[in-house]
Amino acid sequence: MLASNIGLGMEMVARMRKVFSRWAKLLLISMGCLLLLSLAGCKANLLGMLNPKGLITYEERKLFFNTLALMLIVVLPVIVMSFTFVYHYQVSHRIKDYKPNWSHSFFLESLWWGIPCAIIVVLAVLTWFRTHKLDPYNRISAQSQTDPLLVQVIALPWKWLFIYPKQDIATINYLAIPVDQEVEYWITTDNVPMSAFFIPQLGSQIYTMAGMRTRLHLLANETGTYEGLNTQFNGEGFSDMHFAVQVLDSATLEHWFSDIKKSPNHLTEAAYGELLNPSIGNEPQFFSGIASDLFQKVIDTYMNSSGAVHPRQDFHHPVPSKEAS
Amino acid sequence: MHSEMTVHEHHLDSNSTDVFGFWIYIMTDCILFGTLFTTFLVLNAQVQNGITLKTYLDLYDVLAETFLLLGSNFTFCLAILSLYQNKLLRVQAWLALTFLLGASFVFIEVNEFIHLATEGFSWDLNGHASSFFTLVGTHGLHVSFGLLWILMMIIQLPFLKITPITKRRMTYLGLFWNFLDIVWVFVFTIVYLMGAL
Amino acid sequence: MLIHLLFGNLTLEAIPFHTPIIMGAALFMALFTFAVLLLITITGNWSYIWHEWVCSVDHKKIGIMYLLLSVLMFLRGFSDVVLMRTQQAIAAGSSLGYLPPEHYDQIFSAHGVIMIFFVVMPMMFALLNMAVPLQIGARDVAYPYLNSLSFWLTFVGAMLCNVSLVIGDFAAAGWLAYPPLSELYYSPTVGVDYYVWSLQIAGVGTLLAGINFIATIIKMRCKGMTLMKMPIFVWSALCAMILVVLAFPVLTVTLALLELDRMFGMHFFTDFAGGNSMMYINLIWVWGHPEVYILILPAFGVFSEVVATFSQKKLFGYTTMVWALAVITFLSFVVWLHHFFTMGAGADVNAFFGIATMVIAIPTGVKVFNWLFTMYKGRIILTTPMLWVTAFFTTFAIGGMTGVMMAVPPVDFQVHNSLFLVAHFHNVIIGGVLFGYFAGIIYWFPKAFGFRLNEKWGIWSFIFWVLGFYLAFMPLYVIGLSGFMRRTNHYPDLVYQPYLIAAALGAGLIFIGMVLQIIQVAVSIKNRKALRDHSGDPWNGRTLEWSVASPAPLYNFAVLPTVRERDQFWADKKEQAKGAIHPLDLHYQPIHMPKNTPAGFIIAIFSGIAGFALIWHMLIPGIVGFLGILSTVIAKSFSTDTDYYIDADTIRKTELAHIKELG
Repeated sequence: MLASNIGLGMEMVARMRKVFSRWAKLLLISMGCLLLLSLAGCKANLLGMLNPKGLITYEERKLFFNTLALMLIVVLPVIVMSFTFVYHYQVSHRIKDYKPNWSHSFFLESLWWGIPCAIIVVLAVLTWFRTHKLDPYNRISAQSQTDPLLVQVIALPWKWLFIYPKQDIATINYLAIPVDQEVEYWITTDNVPMSAFFIPQLGSQIYTMAGMRTRLHLLANETGTYEGLNTQFNGEGFSDMHFAVQVLDSATLEHWFSDIKKSPNHLTEAAYGELLNPSIGNEPQFFSGIASDLFQKVIDTYMNSSGAVHPRQDFHHPVPSKEAS
Repeated sequence: MHSEMTVHEHHLDSNSTDVFGFWIYIMTDCILFGTLFTTFLVLNAQVQNGITLKTYLDLYDVLAETFLLLGSNFTFCLAILSLYQNKLLRVQAWLALTFLLGASFVFIEVNEFIHLATEGFSWDLNGHASSFFTLVGTHGLHVSFGLLWILMMIIQLPFLKITPITKRRMTYLGLFWNFLDIVWVFVFTIVYLMGAL
Repeated sequence: MLIHLLFGNLTLEAIPFHTPIIMGAALFMALFTFAVLLLITITGNWSYIWHEWVCSVDHKKIGIMYLLLSVLMFLRGFSDVVLMRTQQAIAAGSSLGYLPPEHYDQIFSAHGVIMIFFVVMPMMFALLNMAVPLQIGARDVAYPYLNSLSFWLTFVGAMLCNVSLVIGDFAAAGWLAYPPLSELYYSPTVGVDYYVWSLQIAGVGTLLAGINFIATIIKMRCKGMTLMKMPIFVWSALCAMILVVLAFPVLTVTLALLELDRMFGMHFFTDFAGGNSMMYINLIWVWGHPEVYILILPAFGVFSEVVATFSQKKLFGYTTMVWALAVITFLSFVVWLHHFFTMGAGADVNAFFGIATMVIAIPTGVKVFNWLFTMYKGRIILTTPMLWVTAFFTTFAIGGMTGVMMAVPPVDFQVHNSLFLVAHFHNVIIGGVLFGYFAGIIYWFPKAFGFRLNEKWGIWSFIFWVLGFYLAFMPLYVIGLSGFMRRTNHYPDLVYQPYLIAAALGAGLIFIGMVLQIIQVAVSIKNRKALRDHSGDPWNGRTLEWSVASPAPLYNFAVLPTVRERDQFWADKKEQAKGAIHPLDLHYQPIHMPKNTPAGFIIAIFSGIAGFALIWHMLIPGIVGFLGILSTVIAKSFSTDTDYYIDADTIRKTELAHIKELG
């Protein structure tokens, strides 16, 4: 069966050579080149899930390719059959084996109900266990002695505020975290629509919502600089909501903490108010001394609100216009 | 292909086809109300600041509204009976009574809304208030539309007389009117009784 | 004071005179409209257009009008594609491209809305209107007047969306307008209001059409046609319409609540005062997921018809196909959460919905295998519809596969909102829905218009579409996995640019494919005499629609057929081939037909006026609009002149003409 299929395939190619004009061939060849270039690019500057630097992303990539493999069990035969059947049973081939009324086969039906069912059962079990294991709210290493580092994240109009409550420092658009140590993120939003916090190379993304706290756990396995971004479209400055993620060894990180503590900028209520004003393309900023309970106060502002006026109405300005592009 | 002469097939079947279609419409209206009820329940579960419907409820209003609506359904059924007895004037009389009862329902409901709003429980206060006014108000709007329809039937019947077509329209209206009564039962149970107790 | 009551918030500033792209588009739309109106005037066809088309309650004409609307809106939706792809191809590194976010954000929102609501939905209704009544041996749908109303409401919804381009702006919140972004605080302009009202108006049209087709299929099948003898396309239409009547009320409510938030300051979905944006996301996807099944099921139906006809073989596993349709219909209501795994619902909930989503792949796969084995041991005629089917198998398999992959929540945590997602849904919508609808349009084109479409241009447009699709979307899968998000206006990392340039080239190839399709139609019209379908059965078809002339006569069947088995027409042809001759019975009875009425059109126009008035808070036009709708409905209800009879002589003449052409 396989041999005849290969033979058919070669016949098909031979026929195509005759049928296809020069232009069509040119088109196909250039397409092929472009596709190959794409694939070549795969190997080069890989970002995101294809180049994991954190445990969660590594697990998620594994799951991605396992699922792909399972699906290909069904998809590849479908693709092959679709071409071979269409080609082989063409009316011009005058195949003698014509069964116009044959439309039932218990065996075949069992095969294509049964095999996909089995694959889906495997996938379902895999899904159930992996989803629980990789739940963003779960600690990554529950048995670990050290507590995770806590970072509170507030999505602001079109920048990210990172608060380190224990270290009493904060940054805009710059996240420094330790290597090989779990970091726990508490995440909310202020004066900007629903956003999503994502560091592709380290782990999962999660939505950020006003008046609510979502949580995420990430663990970086390699030092370096990585990309963090917002995935949920939230207005004009969406494309600029990038932040740098610097993974450092613990000594360098402690040094960094003490450096930032020397910053003359303090994140007072007034300074936070400044940040609430919409702005696009912010350079990193560093603060020492955070207004007490800032994160919880932000959430409470929305939770305890009522009536017609938005609690951030005073900070509701159009974005200052940038230079013409 | 064997053929059949079927001239009046459409006519004979049209009654059951038409009412079937109206039943499907009623089902979509069920889903519409279902969505509003779901919204109400979700937004009801997270009330802040203690300002809830409980503070302002007057269950006697709800009792009066219930009797008026139920009564109007009864008078409508009497209208249908008269319709099938071909007594045009009686149909109009019962329909007029239905209209009065239904209009009283709407009047009390509008009054209630105005009272709530002036007391401070207005629809832009919070999610709980918004969902209350919208759910109950949507029902009230449906009733108002039904009242308009009843009025139209009162005016239209003497012109078109009692025919299969007008009988069908009265069937639709009857289904619609009964349906609104059923929705009201859910409204006063979920919104008022559960809110007040 | 009067000015305010008349014009509300509408001022001349609403027209973006300073934006050349928009003004250019507006000019183009105006010129096009003017040219069409001029053409009608010059050829003296106003009476014809009004009486025979605008007022038509004939499902065949309404189907053609749906098709024209969808083609028109396809041009607009695709121009959005050109703008977006060129912007993304350019805006790498320090370049910001040429489309600032305030425009780009409207463009991608409009692109999604137009493609779903005003291109593929009308295309679906075009196919349903064209084929379903004929396939079940009926003379028309259950409610012809509602059918006309449904079309015109969809048309007005689309026009309101077009008006937003010139007067005011459109929503810049994505095609589903998530709050709180779509709330008044974050979207203070009229854009989201245009979005809500054009969808509400079109949505009512769709809901009515859903009721219409369910009643038609359940109640108006010809004698002997039990449910299990219906063509599979009719089954797929029934399942899709059941989804419509169950899902669209949810959309109506959700959009209405959003509008109440915006108009009256309510707090359903606001991010303060007890509003719950997560509830909007749940509700909108409770509608949204069934919506995509509404789109794909008729495409599956088309594949069943096309594969069986062009393999000259019975459809494999009819009963299983029906069961698969039913299972897919049911399951489509229990998977909606897979659109927002990342909203933090917890592992139990996420896993449940993920597994439910995967389970849908099983009946879908069964259908694919049934089609493949319909072709097996058939005698396949490789017409253009069959080419589209062949492309569908591979393309949809890939798209479905990536869908199941994303149904695993931890995988979704990586690819949600990335171009991987965008590539997936375009993969299944283009590869599944669009390829299927193209096959269906070409397949039923002769029945609608009386002549076939030119095959050569069809093949070339097919080649460019398929190659363009792969070039446009395969790179997106790759960069989606590398952390490139959807709705991105510009990006700092140059590594993505080659892929986006490739994608833009792919869009260019698709554009050529579309141009070739237009040429195909033009050439076919020019050569319509040579391409004429004389027999009414150009493809040697199996189902009842091929037993009447092309185009079908006004009354569809001179005598309503009686059916004893599936594919009755095919069986009858086999009998005739064996020599069984049925005497021609030329004794016809008068046929009862509904009269054309302008009511559908007029109600839709008043709805448009009311919608526009609500958007701009124009009190008097709003009242005029609503009163107009009410008075038209009431006035129509008083009318007794709603039907007529076609006399037997006319029928005999028409049938004789068809028999002459046959012989």
